[in-house]
Amino acid sequence: MTHAADVLVIGGGIIGLSCGFYLTKRGKRVCVLDSGGFADGASGACDDMILFQSKKPGINLELTFESLELYKSLRAEVDDNLGFANLGGMVLIENQQELEIMEEFVSQQRSYGLDVEVIDKREIHKKQPFLSDHIIASTYSKMDSQIDPFAVMRAFERKGSSYGMKVFRRNGVVGIERIGNGDYLVSTQDGTVFQAPIVVNAAGTWAGQIGEMVGANVPITPKRGQIIITERVPPIGETNLWSAKYLVTKLRNDVVVDLNEDERSMGLSFAFTRSGGDTYLVGSTREYVGFDKGTTIGGIRAIINQTLKYLPRLRDVNFIRAIAGLRPSTPDGRMLLGEHAGIDGFFTAAGHEGDGIALAPITGTLLAAMVCRDPGDHRLDELSPNRFANL
Amino acid sequence: MADDDKDMFICRCEEVTLREIEQAIDEGFVTVTDIKRVTRAGMGLCQGRTCTKTIARIIAQRTGKPLEEVLPKSYRYPVRPEKLQVVENEEFNDAKDS
Ligand SMILES: Cc1cc2nc3c(=O)[nH]c(=O)nc-3n(C[C@H](O)[C@H](O)[C@H](O)COP(=O)(O)OP(=O)(O)OC[C@H]3O[C@@H](n4cnc5c(N)ncnc54)[C@H](O)[C@@H]3O)c2cc1C
Repeated sequence: MTHAADVLVIGGGIIGLSCGFYLTKRGKRVCVLDSGGFADGASGACDDMILFQSKKPGINLELTFESLELYKSLRAEVDDNLGFANLGGMVLIENQQELEIMEEFVSQQRSYGLDVEVIDKREIHKKQPFLSDHIIASTYSKMDSQIDPFAVMRAFERKGSSYGMKVFRRNGVVGIERIGNGDYLVSTQDGTVFQAPIVVNAAGTWAGQIGEMVGANVPITPKRGQIIITERVPPIGETNLWSAKYLVTKLRNDVVVDLNEDERSMGLSFAFTRSGGDTYLVGSTREYVGFDKGTTIGGIRAIINQTLKYLPRLRDVNFIRAIAGLRPSTPDGRMLLGEHAGIDGFFTAAGHEGDGIALAPITGTLLAAMVCRDPGDHRLDELSPNRFANL
Repeated sequence: MADDDKDMFICRCEEVTLREIEQAIDEGFVTVTDIKRVTRAGMGLCQGRTCTKTIARIIAQRTGKPLEEVLPKSYRYPVRPEKLQVVENEEFNDAKDS
């Protein structure tokens, strides 16, 4: 059986559903194809942050501002808050060296227009009374927000379907072929074939495999992140929390942060965020273990030990679940967004690493504009998949 | 079924009603894991230990699929709530990766 459409989106994570939603709103007949169930990829095993503080001035920060605005209109359009909250965030600083690096970073971000500052111990204590005394300073931004990825995905799907978008699950794409008139034939596990002039590769961590089917180089590798989830508890402090460790190593690769061998090899860094369900999501790791989505006792132990170091009073809090997701990571930390040179009609929208929730609406909006051949936006040249074409 | 029965909580931890679950099934979410992610049923304190089987039966009845196809494939550590201080116990290290 063959289904005809204007656009086939491969991958139904938050990025694929966003592309499908905004394409449908632009009048395209869209089929979204996914090999798994609802939110089986990274979008169902992650934190929920629209995080500004982690970003260097540049395209990712700029797009995060635009995405936040789009989330506002999406919430109005679907008449649902989608678990949106604006608690602000703090990045915890543990020694003089981290302080110097973070002070410089904060001043760069401020000159770019981000509302962020460094606060002292007294201020910290007011916002976070349970925090360990060894924290010497912290950043604070009231911009950092969050939104429930499950709610967002369901909203894209529900509203999109009401406009005519179709989602097919548990039926992975196994091959792509191009026929005489330029159309693509996309075949799936159960033998169903989909035909369209445009294909969007939104398969996240697996986007490289889809690229291969048409001879496109899509250098995306999985970076596993483990998280534990606590029982419902009253608020522990006013804001969400991160440690400066990961940021510091990203900003200055010559600096060795204070971690033991094990923690370093699993890329441990603290992330502590309150979810809409009044639980806390606590993480996380950055591991290169191929496509293995499993959780490990070593990972869970490291996350708990780290948590108790920052928040010793949490000893008696229960955790109820552990999850792991594969961040789609690229060589330069930026997504691939655009059409592949020499493969007309084949687009990639993938490689968001740790920012896919934050960047979902803007990615779908920009992708739809490209597919509809709107006038080009030169800011996006640096996201073009063709930067990797000859590698 | 009387309409009132549809307001009965299938998942008590997260207060998810039969109506919400049936609605999600009708939108094409047809495994326990799908239902959990779209409605939060089974995501609470008991982690679905009381409602998983009920939800599986509701899906099987409504879609005609066999139970094995709609039940989750595996269970991960922790299977019940554990205090964070559990890492201080020897036995913690014997728990299995999953
Ligand atoms: C621990 C952790 C914490 C995170 N925290 C945050 C955060 O706070 N904020 C933030 O913005 N981001 C965060 N992220 C990143 C975010 O989860 C990802 O960037 C985002 O989910 C990527 O979405 P995606 O749709 O591209 O990928 P996915 O959700 O992985 O979707 C890809 C889809 O492609 C499908 N697929 C694969 N192969 C095929 C095939 N052959 N045919 C059809 N379909 C196929 C898969 O089934 C999957 O559904 C975090 C990630 C992790 C792991």
